Amino acid sequence: MRTNGAALLLRVPSAAWVILLMMTVFTAINSRYLTLDNLVNIVLQNAVLLILSLGATLVILSEGIDLSLGSVLTLSGVTCVLAMKSLMASGASNGLAMAAGVLVGLLTGTLMGLVTGALVSLGNMPSFIASLGMMGVGGALALVLADSTAIYIDNPVFSFIGERLDKSIDGPLLQYLSMPAFIAAAVFGVVWVILYHTPFGRYIIAIGGNESGARLSGINTVSAKWMIYVAAAVLASISGITLAARLEAADSIVGVGWEFDAIAASILGGTSFAKGKGGIGGTVLGVLVIGVTRNGLNVIGVPSLWQPALTGTIIILAIVFEIIHSRWKEGRR
Amino acid sequence: MDDRILIDARGITKTFPGVRALDNVDFELRAGETHILLGENGAGKSTLMKVLSGAYAPDEGDVRIDGQPVETFDPRVAQRMGVSIIYQEFNLIPYMDVAQNIFLGRFPKKYGLIDHKKMHADAAALLHNLNMHVDTHTLIADLSTAQQQMVEVAKALSIKSKILIMDEPTSSLSERETEQLFATIHQLNAQGIGIVYISHRLQELQEVGHRVTVLRDGQFIGRKANREVTVDELVGMMVGHSVHDMFERDFQPQGAECLRVENLSNGKRLRGVSMCLHRGEIVGLAGLVGSGRTDLARAIFGVDAYDSGQVVLFGEAVRNLDASDMVARGISLLPEDRKNHGLAMILPVAENIVVSSLDRLFPRGYVSRDRESAVALQYVEQLRIATPSTSRLAQYLSGGNQQKVVLAKWLCTKAKIFIFDEPTRGIDVGAKAEIHAFMNQLVKEGAAVLMISSELPEVIGMSDRIYVMREGRIVAEIPHAEATQERIIEYAMGADEVRQNRIQAETTRGKGES
Repeated sequence: MRTNGAALLLRVPSAAWVILLMMTVFTAINSRYLTLDNLVNIVLQNAVLLILSLGATLVILSEGIDLSLGSVLTLSGVTCVLAMKSLMASGASNGLAMAAGVLVGLLTGTLMGLVTGALVSLGNMPSFIASLGMMGVGGALALVLADSTAIYIDNPVFSFIGERLDKSIDGPLLQYLSMPAFIAAAVFGVVWVILYHTPFGRYIIAIGGNESGARLSGINTVSAKWMIYVAAAVLASISGITLAARLEAADSIVGVGWEFDAIAASILGGTSFAKGKGGIGGTVLGVLVIGVTRNGLNVIGVPSLWQPALTGTIIILAIVFEIIHSRWKEGRR
Repeated sequence: MDDRILIDARGITKTFPGVRALDNVDFELRAGETHILLGENGAGKSTLMKVLSGAYAPDEGDVRIDGQPVETFDPRVAQRMGVSIIYQEFNLIPYMDVAQNIFLGRFPKKYGLIDHKKMHADAAALLHNLNMHVDTHTLIADLSTAQQQMVEVAKALSIKSKILIMDEPTSSLSERETEQLFATIHQLNAQGIGIVYISHRLQELQEVGHRVTVLRDGQFIGRKANREVTVDELVGMMVGHSVHDMFERDFQPQGAECLRVENLSNGKRLRGVSMCLHRGEIVGLAGLVGSGRTDLARAIFGVDAYDSGQVVLFGEAVRNLDASDMVARGISLLPEDRKNHGLAMILPVAENIVVSSLDRLFPRGYVSRDRESAVALQYVEQLRIATPSTSRLAQYLSGGNQQKVVLAKWLCTKAKIFIFDEPTRGIDVGAKAEIHAFMNQLVKEGAAVLMISSELPEVIGMSDRIYVMREGRIVAEIPHAEATQERIIEYAMGADEVRQNRIQAETTRGKGES
């Protein structure tokens, strides 16, 4: 029976254990932690990070990295809100303005992704360097366009996509549901189908597993790699738009550092920089590790200046555990 | 050459899983001698070289270096005993200068810091001794291949090596550089240094070396003085007259031409290669490793671009198309290195089998797992791939079954032309026969096969026609009926040139006398 128990322990992903442990610790310190209200809050706070992290996971699965995702998030929010504002100023309805704004935001992401992807695939540039450059470009463009401040937007239709449902609709239990959570779930579903049920998804994993092998299998690795960066940037712009809706503003530096959270979430979820190992299921858990930690440190009252240090430490420990965990798993094979 | 024996190796046996790489081999090297180690690909030269330099410990046998028995087989111990080895791939650090590379890890020091003055002076002295005139501050990356090789030699001399093992030292040198190398070798011999010279170029035997040891299939075949042996004798020793493996092959009349290569050139690797392939035939591509066989396959398949020439596929001229387009046109490549090029090892068998056919199998763009498994299962059964299920990861399959998965991948694309690069290397005998049977079946059904192989019985037994490559060119086309191991080896190693040179030399001498 003992062996069965051990097998079960290993089958549950390491990030799930970390989440369980953290929640236990936080609850022990402050019983207010484990309330439905707070849990709903964690989901709402981390829906945006999840969407961004899914993009980061796609790139990492193909053995690349995209540092520009945080900048794309910021820039898409800014262009979306600016477009919306100018349309509303010229008398367009809230709904029309929102639709146009979202479209502009998505287009911004697409363009950024096209450039990063072209540099990596056609230009044969290391993804680290190409995306580092695009991180600077995107960040600066956002600062310039927003005049280095936050642009507030008052559009109830737009705000709806960033809120809990009880703010706009009456009904039972609606305070527990939120649009960002719905969007994140829908995006997750779409990415799942793309990754696991389309040729493109297979090519991502094949390239990560063995790029020269993929090429020798007749896969057009150039176009596949290009599209990976476009997909990641589009996901980043969806997260940027959702975040702007939740904050009812586009901040010119809001996405700084998010790309690292997204990468950390992917790694925590078991996606590896080598050999196309991992997947987006783990990324959800990785995002929760980060989200649960941040929220918990707040709830138990750790001073905010100390929080990044503690979050960083916990992420490192969680990754160490993930490495040990996967070694145990390998050993049992 | 004096009588001091630098290397005395006796009864060396080394086995790897499934292969007896060396079987009771003797080797001897005297001071001041250059001793050539000759043999085909896979004859055991590299293994013997690795035993002598301490990289492998032999299962049986004794090695004495300069009279001292070797007890521990370790490269550092061998180095201390005076053995240095220069591989084809140099062990130099490209962005460090010449002097630093020579003294890497043994820098002369002063007050705990590197004594640059002494280091460069010593390096310059070593290079001077080798007649190499290059500034010791030059970066390795800025040197020619021949110069880099000399730095390797200087490095070996700097640790007072008595024995130099050189692995095909002329393989990437020009003719002039080769002459210079030979001059250096003579000079080192004159200083009493013994050189083990691994080669498979018969031309060189006339210019360098005192004795030659021939290996075949891991066995010691003979040791001769260079002056007393003819090229024909050496070819005979290398080939032997071993039992011909039995190959089941149904030869049939040639079908329509499906692939023609016209004057394909790619830098130094391919120099104007022309060849053709017909439906219903297996064409063998023989030649030594590095003769351009794999380069030709990769160029045809569209993975490496070529400078000039063209490929005609089913009557349509294509030039430098990408591999993905070539696959769509019905061509396939089974690479030699299955682990790194053929398969994604961490993916399941099923995903590996369908990966090149996703667009064909799922035209609506949605990949259904059930359909994928069903299709994969069909090929698993057809090719009798030994795997508990199609979801097994490719890395847990045996070499033969991995090769079958690669074959299944291409059958799944409905390819019409199959390029096999060393299809049965590292595969056990049973799976080998199966793969040969599949190849036979393929051409019977109207496909065409181009087979690269270093195993001559396989080439001769399986092929309708054989092309032989040497130094980026096709030097001969031999029909099945006329193919013998001797003929192929002669062309592959350039024995025909050696003979021609001799005839030329004799006719000029004849003219001079008359």
